[in-house]
Amino acid sequence: MVDQLPNLGREQEMLAAMGMSSMDDLFSDIPEDVRRTEPLNLPGPQTEEEILREARMLLGSNVSVDSRPSFLGAGLYSNFVPSMVPMLATRGEFLTSYTPYQPEVSQGMLQAMWEFQTMISELVGLPVSNVSMYDASTAAAEALTCAVRIHDRKATQKSTVYVSELIPPHRMSVIENYTQGAEIVIHKLAHREDGLLDLEAAVCAEGACAVYVEQPNAFGLLDEGLMQLKSLIGENTALIVGVQPVSLGLIAAPGDYGADIVVGEGQPFGIGPTAGGPIYGLFACRDAYIRQMPGRIVGLSKDSGGGRAFTLTLSTREQHIRRHRATSNICSNETLIALMGAMHMALLGPEGLEKLARRNAGACSATKNAVLALEGVEAVHPDGVHFNEFAVRLKKPAADLLNFLDHECDITGGLDLSQWWPERENEILICATDQIDLEDIEELVEGIQDWLEGYE
Amino acid sequence: MSDLFGFKGAEGAGYAQPDPISDDFEFPTALQRENLPRWPRASEPEIVRHYTWLSTRSHGIDSGFYPLGSCTMKHNPRVNEKIVQIPGMNDIHALAPASHLQGLMAIFHEMQEMLEHCAGMDTVTLQPVAGAQGEFTAMRCIQEYHRDIGEEHRNKVIVPDSAHGTNPASASMCGYEIIEIPSLENGQLDLDALRAVVGEDTAAMMITNPSTLGIFEPEIAEAARIVHDAGGQMYYDGANFNAILGKTNPGLMGFDAVHYNLHKTFSQPHGGGGPGAGPIGVKAHLADYLPAPLVVASEDEEGEVWFDWYDPPKSIGKVQQWHGNAGATVRAWAYYRRYGRELETMSEHAVLNANYLRHRIMNPSEEIRSAIHAMPADGAPADVVKHEFTLSMTPVKDSTGVTGKDIAKRLLDYGYMAPTLYFPMIVPECLMFEPTETESKEAIDQFANDFLAILGEDPELVKTAPHDTPVKRVDEVWAARNLILRHPIDE
Repeated sequence: MVDQLPNLGREQEMLAAMGMSSMDDLFSDIPEDVRRTEPLNLPGPQTEEEILREARMLLGSNVSVDSRPSFLGAGLYSNFVPSMVPMLATRGEFLTSYTPYQPEVSQGMLQAMWEFQTMISELVGLPVSNVSMYDASTAAAEALTCAVRIHDRKATQKSTVYVSELIPPHRMSVIENYTQGAEIVIHKLAHREDGLLDLEAAVCAEGACAVYVEQPNAFGLLDEGLMQLKSLIGENTALIVGVQPVSLGLIAAPGDYGADIVVGEGQPFGIGPTAGGPIYGLFACRDAYIRQMPGRIVGLSKDSGGGRAFTLTLSTREQHIRRHRATSNICSNETLIALMGAMHMALLGPEGLEKLARRNAGACSATKNAVLALEGVEAVHPDGVHFNEFAVRLKKPAADLLNFLDHECDITGGLDLSQWWPERENEILICATDQIDLEDIEELVEGIQDWLEGYE
Repeated sequence: MSDLFGFKGAEGAGYAQPDPISDDFEFPTALQRENLPRWPRASEPEIVRHYTWLSTRSHGIDSGFYPLGSCTMKHNPRVNEKIVQIPGMNDIHALAPASHLQGLMAIFHEMQEMLEHCAGMDTVTLQPVAGAQGEFTAMRCIQEYHRDIGEEHRNKVIVPDSAHGTNPASASMCGYEIIEIPSLENGQLDLDALRAVVGEDTAAMMITNPSTLGIFEPEIAEAARIVHDAGGQMYYDGANFNAILGKTNPGLMGFDAVHYNLHKTFSQPHGGGGPGAGPIGVKAHLADYLPAPLVVASEDEEGEVWFDWYDPPKSIGKVQQWHGNAGATVRAWAYYRRYGRELETMSEHAVLNANYLRHRIMNPSEEIRSAIHAMPADGAPADVVKHEFTLSMTPVKDSTGVTGKDIAKRLLDYGYMAPTLYFPMIVPECLMFEPTETESKEAIDQFANDFLAILGEDPELVKTAPHDTPVKRVDEVWAARNLILRHPIDE
């Protein structure tokens, strides 16, 4: 029996008021030739208790990153979210509201998003942030299409962008899907043997519409060279930097070294890795890009009494006004998750952010030192400066060690890098966030040692 | 007025964290951050109060009737929120081995099959995270399909002028040229206009049915034949799926691809603008192009079911980096389980409520009618509507100068969210109402009475509305001219 319909059992009363006699009358307009002849072939309704029991059983069979030492990052990060965050964000007025098209009754969410924009702006060192993209991949993709619209007129390399060759392939695939319609040509920017961007080669991007690089990059490497990139490519080529936002507690804001657009996965602030969704993408830019940027933006305004009020603004960029000439098709976005991010950032505060970044860098350094002390494990980038991830090379396929750690030690050891780049089958990307403690590292090292001994 | 940047806590205010487990790291000086972001310094009680205050200045379905047409603002069952907080949801990693994600994948698999069945499609992907992204994904699949069969010259997509703005925007992002065709006087699809534009360059037609006017297109099967005969594909915008579950489906209507809005039909909360989820379903000929990966099930000799990821052979790749909005899929699963085959009853009640509201507004008692300056007009003539309907406020505007927007703003004073305003654009002074199955008869009666009362109010009162909201009418033009897009954080 369904329990969510207030008018169940009162259908006749309502039908009679309209001069109808059966529910079928309401569907008399559906032509015979397209009507279903059979009812839905689905099971009957379940009660809340039954659903909850089954959900516990099903979700409980997943292996949680919090239930064991987990060194898997690669773009989604184990984190801690203060208890306050989900409790506040699921207040019904936030949870069950729609896009704030009626600002007079949406001031709360609008102000919260304006504050979110402000915190992101402060974090990345750029004046403008939108209210969120779907994830880092669509943020990066739409940053590129945005930059092409801005720079193509003056570009000497028309409709051309340069993208670091170390962008994770799944993210790259999204970028390709989003840019092919505008016939954007993507060239790869080479990295040197040490994993850092080849600045000498990057000069070739001058005259193109945009360059997209990541800091830290896919190997967790911090690259000081990126700070010179803007001067090499010039004013007419947008520098787009993808960030791991927690790193910005210690690392220079890209806006301070010439980035025109900053994108990234906001996830570490506000929500767990969540199988990759819903999370939220960051998108911030310089003023010159505002009118071509995708997504919702909140502005401060005034009401008819002269009082302070917030509203969505620059809507003329958007699909519901501009239709096929819109800057993006984005409509539903990730506002509620961005709200959770805002709450988390607000409670962290500046020094809390710095400490969180230190905890990541410290855990990574401790893990790296311990793992690399093992005979048979070597650093892929021995001289690299890492934030919270690093890659190691083994003498045998990484999948073998990862399976051993998973099945024999209850440890999630990291990412088998051959999943991204087949030629890297002996390499593992190991991530240590603030959630890794010394015991976890000890268990990892013991596990790897057992495995190494096993095959020697 | 609570200002997040007005908190004046000491350095280090916020929540206490364990100390770093090591300080043995060093970054090159140039890379080090000089000034920390000027985020607030505040303690939990202050932050909790701030956001609680903000929540009181927002309006959700929980706050009251939310007849926002086209958006299907139905009740969000609370157990769904509880379920996504169960260990094994927020704390699982998309790149973990499949053996770590069997429970999630079981839910994915069940949802794929359920959505396939409900829409009459052959294969479903759950990866797109919003309706617009579903549209984009499906158009990419159609594009690759055409390239694959040597028909890459098909570069035009047809949309009716009543279509959601995302339809042309999504197709345009794929590189398609958009052909907009006018609707008939009565708001329905104009088959002659369609015949006039289809041809060898037609890639697809994108359409929602029932239309954005809430009317079921009587000639939908013929429209599909016209497009198919020209070699084009039919795309179904599932925004209005709530109206037809169990009664018909896009497969029967002749569609090749469809998106579902889990945040409309399947109760994923809208959250102030998202997250949503926009899975797509396709007929077999398009299935090989779907984004990777899908979930497939296999059974071993003991009957144990195992779930695996599967990459379609000619996949377009990824449209979101991970597995889409998995949390939204899980909420939608819990919602679906609550109804099962009674999803048909859900649609019946959505349609019952829409027709009942329309009837109540358009047929006031003599007494009420006599107090009204002018009655609105039907946006489209129809004996029955589906889950939503449109009214034109033109007669009201002509008689009193009160616009659709004024009435929408005045409704806010009564504690209602306004209906969708000025969409679809083909109905002048349009208000679009969608009560959903969530509203009781009494709530609808009350809303109709209040709406009619507004039509009899002093026009000046309505024109200057709202009066009883946290702020008065907001100047959107001022905001766009001045572009104050962040807090100045004056020290």
